[in-house]
Amino acid sequence: MPAIYKVSYVVRGEDHPGAILNTDQPPKVGDQVHIGGRQFTVVEVQELIPPREEFHFLHATVRSG
Amino acid sequence: MGDLDNVLKNAELFDGLSPTELQSIAGISLEKRFRAGETITRQGDEDDHLFVVCEGFVEVSLSGPLPGSDSRAVVHLGRGQIFGEMALVDQGPRSATVRSTADNTVVQAIGRQAFMDLCDRNHHLGYVVMRNMAADLSFKLRHRNLTGR
Repeated sequence: MPAIYKVSYVVRGEDHPGAILNTDQPPKVGDQVHIGGRQFTVVEVQELIPPREEFHFLHATVRSG
Repeated sequence: MGDLDNVLKNAELFDGLSPTELQSIAGISLEKRFRAGETITRQGDEDDHLFVVCEGFVEVSLSGPLPGSDSRAVVHLGRGQIFGEMALVDQGPRSATVRSTADNTVVQAIGRQAFMDLCDRNHHLGYVVMRNMAADLSFKLRHRNLTGR
């Protein structure tokens, strides 16, 4: 089974709850993501906890725009 | 495998289940669709369904303890995420209000009694899903710690 990336997106610089979702590809710096009807740019990606089987657990910091 | 089986297989909650066990879960799942802005669960309501987000997005928000107090969004959940698990585990009222924030948001709803019956009949299934549910709650706590909310 291909890898699944469970990503915690945290918005930098504003009071925003962020998002959690599964993606087929790991987020990369510069990627655009839509959260709650707004567009954000990924500025940092880290492994949050070690992978388990096909699931990878990542933390991505994003900013507006 | 059918579409629903594939959807469930891509949710961490069901990671580690066999194809037959996934089909058992599919057998007690009911698809529901929502437009942007529709309420799926309301804080304080009595309801015992667990939901899996298959498409779209939902916003989870909390209100203060006083009547009429403002609500505050605590997280947005997208594909593969679950909500409603607290009421499924502790049988308490809904701890949060959840609204769809995208048109054509699709969720699978799983009732508590049917799910617990399945766990009683198949202890491996029950162990795996409860383990994954604990891991998901842990991930949500980590996310909330990172957002500082």
